[in-house]
Amino acid sequence: MAALVVNILWQVTSRFALNDPSSYTEEIARFLLIWIGLLGGCYAYRHNSHLGLDLLTQKLSPAAQRLAALLIDTVTIAFAALVLGYGGGQLVWLTLELQQTSAALGIPMGYVYSVLPLSGALMVFYCLALRDRTRAPEQGS
Amino acid sequence: ACHQQQQVVVLKMAHGLDTQHPVHQAMQHMATRLGELSAGSMRIDIYPNAQLGGEREILELLQIGSLALTKVSSGPMESFVPSFKVFSIPYVFRDYAHLWRVLQGEVGRELLQAGDAVRLHGLGYYDAGSRSFYTTAAPVHSPADLAGLKIRVQNSITSVEMVRALGGAATPIPWAEIYTALQQGVVDGAENNPPSYYLSKHYEVAPYFSLDEHAFVPDILLVSLPVWEGLSPQQRQWLQQAADDSVQLQRQLWRESTAHALAQLRAAGVTIIEPDKRAFRAAVAPMHASFRGTATGALLQRIAAVE
Amino acid sequence: MGISALVLLGVFTLLLLLNAPIAIGIAAATLAAMLFTMGFDVAVTTVAQRMVSGINSFTMVAIPLFILSGILMGRGGIAHRLIELAKALIGTLPGGLALVNVLSTTLFGAISGSAVASASAMGGFMVPAMEKEGYDRNFSAALTAASSTAGLLIPPSNVLIIYSLASGNVSIAALFIAGYVPGILLALSLMAIGAFYAIRHGYPVSAPTPARETLRRLLDALPSLLLIVIVIGGIVSGIFTATEASGIAVLYALFLSTVVYREVRPAELPGILLKTAETSAIVLFLVAASSAMSWMLSYENIPQQMSSFFIGLSDNPLVILMIITLILLLVGAFIDITPAILIFTPIFLPVVTAMGMSPLHFGIVIVLNLCIGICTPPVGSVLFVGCSIARSNMAALVRPLLPMYVAMFVILLLITYVPALSEWLPRTFGLI
Ligand code: NA
Ligand code: NA
Repeated sequence: MAALVVNILWQVTSRFALNDPSSYTEEIARFLLIWIGLLGGCYAYRHNSHLGLDLLTQKLSPAAQRLAALLIDTVTIAFAALVLGYGGGQLVWLTLELQQTSAALGIPMGYVYSVLPLSGALMVFYCLALRDRTRAPEQGS
Repeated sequence: ACHQQQQVVVLKMAHGLDTQHPVHQAMQHMATRLGELSAGSMRIDIYPNAQLGGEREILELLQIGSLALTKVSSGPMESFVPSFKVFSIPYVFRDYAHLWRVLQGEVGRELLQAGDAVRLHGLGYYDAGSRSFYTTAAPVHSPADLAGLKIRVQNSITSVEMVRALGGAATPIPWAEIYTALQQGVVDGAENNPPSYYLSKHYEVAPYFSLDEHAFVPDILLVSLPVWEGLSPQQRQWLQQAADDSVQLQRQLWRESTAHALAQLRAAGVTIIEPDKRAFRAAVAPMHASFRGTATGALLQRIAAVE
Repeated sequence: MGISALVLLGVFTLLLLLNAPIAIGIAAATLAAMLFTMGFDVAVTTVAQRMVSGINSFTMVAIPLFILSGILMGRGGIAHRLIELAKALIGTLPGGLALVNVLSTTLFGAISGSAVASASAMGGFMVPAMEKEGYDRNFSAALTAASSTAGLLIPPSNVLIIYSLASGNVSIAALFIAGYVPGILLALSLMAIGAFYAIRHGYPVSAPTPARETLRRLLDALPSLLLIVIVIGGIVSGIFTATEASGIAVLYALFLSTVVYREVRPAELPGILLKTAETSAIVLFLVAASSAMSWMLSYENIPQQMSSFFIGLSDNPLVILMIITLILLLVGAFIDITPAILIFTPIFLPVVTAMGMSPLHFGIVIVLNLCIGICTPPVGSVLFVGCSIARSNMAALVRPLLPMYVAMFVILLLITYVPALSEWLPRTFGLI
């Protein structure tokens, strides 16, 4: 993850430093952003730091809260498995099979999209294990 | 909406242009014709303004099958069907008439069919005229005037090479950001056809238009192959007929639109230059030569052979 | 309205109330609604494609980079020095820091042309700084989010260009000039709220700083001020775009904090990067899901159906204008500003021009209206940035935003019903 941020930074700054309008850096930056957005989304999910509305659930009984949490976990697993995993997998298959390449780099778009099934798998994994169920700690320092 | 006839086939058509563009008007004609031909059993819903995504994304959605129809420039089409890159290579066609003889001949038909292998079925070519340079600070009379200028190009390898061959520094910038980029000096110029140059209002910030006509780039009217295969032979014939009628109308609308744009540009005080194209053609000769021995090179030869 | 719209709303509301991550709520509801019109395989693949496409944007690359530079500025002593200087200069005014926040966020937004870039850049730096001075973190983040929208009205502005293209015949130059007065009014009203809030909460007002001390702080802050000069100067002079500026900001902030001030150790960097990735991803994941939803809404023609129904309710131009205003506010709650402009300009422009409103005036109205929308839940890009930076949930951020919504709404009504506020300046310059 950290390497991705460094990469973006490197691409943008090297573009500036070389002062040669490179046609690749823009594309690399966008693709890295996709990877950061989805993998980082899984990481944030693991830390329970995604935005939610806890107005109603705060007022529920502990048993009802557990039920709500169970339902949400089920929806999350379904989303991760069906949309990111299966849908994303189909998209990867489609773009690899039909040989779509990126405009500037000419790399297969399927490689870029492979982050979809990857993050789907990660999210299911985090949901079933390893997940921090308390709210993310307040910002320190 | 609740009392729709049963069995109406709705085809969703998306594109990236605004509703005043000749392409949009021709698509509306296609929708009307399809309604007439099919006696209301088929309908086209048009989504303009890139509401449903940019050209590349719409092509993917056609492959997936959630959208049925679109028109794309040959630039983005390159990423899906590599042979379309011949249209981005500068000075491939001798003139406008040569372009259309090629498109309506064997080469044009083969290119349209090449899309079937990637789930994109070609229905016809729309006219998108010729592309020329426009600049912010000084007019371009010859390739020497482009030297060192940062020129915005479409995001395609061939477009980048084209501008390099002519001596400029190619800078890919998203369409929506060109105006600000020209105004702030991030780029010194861009290139497009007269109606787009006029409708995008880029002439407000880049008032020198040099009609060097470096590329004749048609648009392609496409239907999603999964959707096409789901239609009956009769329905396919109606759709193809509606597309043909739309293509006819679009070429006429395009000519009117180009004439109107040039007149309006002149009235707005834009400097329009008609440079000698020989120097430009000479500058890109090495680029043509670099394709020798490749599939693109073979295609270039066949195009050159068309009378 | 069709069944898919009801399904969307139902599933989304339910998941939201059960405290699902909002992004997942949006994506799941979108999928559920899509299943009514297309097959399962096509629907899931389309949602996946729309999510990726939503963040396949070079403009958005500014989000992680500005968040990173904000964190570096905060930890590396840059923010601290700038705040000390600001306190010396306007610390005697009530709510001095809040004023600095509104002013700098508006300025940054005005120059970069992007509300999200401005909210991430200024929020990442002002929010921790204000918290240190005793301000409520949620209030500070809310103020940053609201102020970042003013930059969309003050030129250059990509959304005004998009409106111009969608409307077909409004000059971009005229729109740019027309945006000044409404944008400045918006910023002034937010400054007033900031000052009022600070007075009510009794936030400390600094004692006047002696001239010598002010000078010392100025010298101390000089390298930090240079960061602002580089970023803003670079954008204005066309050396780089707003997105590239974010990369430059990171580089310079890194240099200052590790080499010059030495307040950040190299060993801390991986942690900072990881935190950046997480904070940005919260926003990006939401943007991805929302873009799938807004695609689905357009695909089902829901905006069009909704508008034609509501506009049909009255013949009175003033009432119709109010209905349009309310529809746009509702739309802004769910759809991001760019798709909303593209979808609704062709729908409403013929209606309002038939009532005698100029397309130029309507452009300012629709942009200002949707500016409110990017701060309102459940879908609002700068609201997401604000929550992510303040590490808050949406409800906590919305509470301090309420008076700001009211102020923005009052400005919106003023701009809507007093055409001169938008048209006077361009007319003075002979643009209309
Ligand atoms: Na701006
Ligand atoms: Na909103």
